[in-house]
Amino acid sequence: MSAGPDQDLDCAAALLDLAGMTPVRLAKLLDGFGPRLAWRSVAAGTHPADRGRKFARAARGVRPADAARRYESAGIRLLLPDRAGYPAALAGDPGAPAVLCADGDTSVLEARPAVAVVGTRSATPYGVKVAAGLGRELAAAGVVVVSGLALGIDAAAHAGALAAGSTGAPPLAVVGTGLDVVYPQENRLLWERVAAVGAVLSEAPLGTAPRPRVFPARNRIIAALSDVVVVVECHGRGGSLYTAEAAARRSIPVCAVPGSVLSPASRGTNGLLVDGCTPVRDVSDVLVAVALARGDAPVRAAGTAAGPPPVGGVAALGLDRVGRLVWEAVEDTPTTVETVLLRTNLSLAALTEAVADLVGLGLLVSGAGWWSRA
Amino acid sequence: MIASIPSAVLQGVDGCPIVVEVHVANGLPGFTVVGLPDAAVRESRDRVRASFASSGLPWPRRRITVNLAPSAIPKGGAGLDLPIALGVLVASGVVAPEAVAGYAFVGELGLDGSLRGVPGALALADALRSHRLVVAVEDGPEASLAGGTCLTAPNLVEVVARCTGRRPWPGPPPATTGPQGTDDGSGPAGDLAEVRGHLLARRALEVAATGGHHLLMVGPPGAGKTLLANRLPGLLPDLDDATARVATRIRSAAGIGGATTSLLRRPPFRAPHHGLSAVAMIGGGTGALRPGEVSLAHGGTLFLDELGEFPTTVLDALRQPLEDGVVRVSRSHGSSTCPARFLLVAAMNPCPCGEGGVPGGCRCPPAARARYGRRLSGPLLDRFDITLRIDRPADTELLDRDPGESTAVVAARVAEARARAGARGVPTNAELDGPALDRATPLDDRATACLEAHLRSGKLSARGLLRVRRLARTVADLDGAGDTVEPRHVSEALFLRGGRDLLFGEETR
Repeated sequence: MSAGPDQDLDCAAALLDLAGMTPVRLAKLLDGFGPRLAWRSVAAGTHPADRGRKFARAARGVRPADAARRYESAGIRLLLPDRAGYPAALAGDPGAPAVLCADGDTSVLEARPAVAVVGTRSATPYGVKVAAGLGRELAAAGVVVVSGLALGIDAAAHAGALAAGSTGAPPLAVVGTGLDVVYPQENRLLWERVAAVGAVLSEAPLGTAPRPRVFPARNRIIAALSDVVVVVECHGRGGSLYTAEAAARRSIPVCAVPGSVLSPASRGTNGLLVDGCTPVRDVSDVLVAVALARGDAPVRAAGTAAGPPPVGGVAALGLDRVGRLVWEAVEDTPTTVETVLLRTNLSLAALTEAVADLVGLGLLVSGAGWWSRA
Repeated sequence: MIASIPSAVLQGVDGCPIVVEVHVANGLPGFTVVGLPDAAVRESRDRVRASFASSGLPWPRRRITVNLAPSAIPKGGAGLDLPIALGVLVASGVVAPEAVAGYAFVGELGLDGSLRGVPGALALADALRSHRLVVAVEDGPEASLAGGTCLTAPNLVEVVARCTGRRPWPGPPPATTGPQGTDDGSGPAGDLAEVRGHLLARRALEVAATGGHHLLMVGPPGAGKTLLANRLPGLLPDLDDATARVATRIRSAAGIGGATTSLLRRPPFRAPHHGLSAVAMIGGGTGALRPGEVSLAHGGTLFLDELGEFPTTVLDALRQPLEDGVVRVSRSHGSSTCPARFLLVAAMNPCPCGEGGVPGGCRCPPAARARYGRRLSGPLLDRFDITLRIDRPADTELLDRDPGESTAVVAARVAEARARAGARGVPTNAELDGPALDRATPLDDRATACLEAHLRSGKLSARGLLRVRRLARTVADLDGAGDTVEPRHVSEALFLRGGRDLLFGEETR
């Protein structure tokens, strides 16, 4: 144990690593104490927030420097409030995490606007397309895209932000698990790339497994870090609504992407619009909301996220009669094969042949029993 | 004195001829049965003795030994009562040996001497075709289907009287040959015209019925999967003579469907509940080897509703019969081979909540959905030529449309297309092997290119390619196309084949 500042970090790491520690309990232990004092009173068994001496027992034999070294060797920095690196947006927040683990460059948040792009895990191709488009163009406009590295919308938003390349703003992810527990596994590659280019944050100690309660807690950090929250697709009940609620409580503007009233995946977002959230048609709607929230001049968009379908382009491709018939029968949202059969009156053989051609041209995508426009 | 009476016992679904040898000798009065009898045969001692008393026949007060030859194979069932009784009569000198020469006997005796029917009469009669077979009156029509001489009698006294020529045998029972109902009440065969919408599923049923392609339907509850599956048997043509004979034998050996009066002409439809055991599905059991559901469905349809709820062991046991068309069951006391060539139709929900039809509809955690999909092993899934999503019909698009075609119209098309497969020497296209397929389905260049693209992209395996080509052949047959298979047939076949990802993944991109 060397100089003072490091000792704070060591003690914070030791407290974070105690068996049974949760972010809420940690906040209680640190509140008004600070890491060093908190650690000493916990270890001595005199901490008023540790009446049952549970943590005192767990702290027996623990050397704070060892705990800190564990995080250091995993390449993870610990961020403490009022210390360099801790996100300014969280500083005055009532639910600010007492300790944040960070993997990657945490300076991404400095002097840049941030927008949360969140939504359901079981997203439709429409939602994935919009989220990826928003992610890419927000990043290209210099806006940090914040999301949760979940499947569906979150993954699409991160992938979009990464696709903006080195000139775009780096992405930021806030996850619910420990930073060494990649969840879901499908997103491992994405997770690593976000950490390499931007940063991945978590308030959970290393080794924290995915549990249902960690994700709503993670959502409040996403909301608190952002200037604007955009919900792309969300069911009638979903974690994204928790993010929206957390944002509303902090007076952070919530925007929602309108969807088909028939799509269950848009029930939540359409509900948000009814409640008065700003509708998002393309990236410029988001950028205006960001400018209003920050009081800046609007940032100019690089392009449109999800423009209208390229009708002119389809005409130019010179589709035959059957091809046009099929193209017109398939909607932007997933259209069941049954529906297309009814609309076109074609035989299944003729229809599947035409669809194979259209898929080959990149005009349609096929899914499990449905087709939709690409 | 020794008497030898021919008879037969069931081995699985086949009759096995045996000889009942009866020896009556001086010694302490007794009655023993040897030659691997099961409990029912051992109990026949008491039935036979009681029936002698009720019939007024003399019971020899001597030592009686009954041997069932060949003694190595186990024998079961009460059908040996009658041959044992005749053997005792001959061996004790009541009936002359010449009177029963050329006869074989199968039948159970009641305590009053009446003669009762036995399961599997057709199979037993098949095994005894060279004899004049005497059976119970109720077994007469079924046994006469075998084609041999079949005689009936109501009781033991009549059998003795007719064998000894004191009374004449009645004329052969009239064998009805009219078609029987679809099956043993396991599902009413509805008409396709009652199905509104479901254009895709109708087409899939038609293709499945034509080519004998196994069909898997995946869809939310209430989409109409069971409704559609129940209409499949109506599309299948009548069974040919050989299949009808085998199917009737199996049904009779299993002892279901009551008395058989004619050959089973309509393809059977079996829809077992998902609680069944592997033995009930495949056949077997302790004691007699009973045919399972796969054999009962021989020549017809095996419908597995809620496929995801069947135990994995039961589903995986299906793989071998699906491939070979027969099922081999071995037990410690013997083994048996049963025919089991059937059209497998299965239905299941896409995920535990059942709503995963269109993306965004399902609220199951991805892990739960993946777990549900994993209940079907890859090899089993691979055997479904057609995998299809069934969604609830959109009522708005249905209301102003005419009702669909009736079963009779589609069945006529199926029969016509099946005739084309028949010209290739196979009952259905699903049984075309590689070389036959090369001869039967020359692909044109564009169709070949289309298949090659799928092979290269890894969406199609080598086995899958074979199945897609068979499927394309069927589609072309239904289309009335000539010998070549066109690209549209291949693209429809590729679509119908679907695949695991198409069913259980949210997206294929």
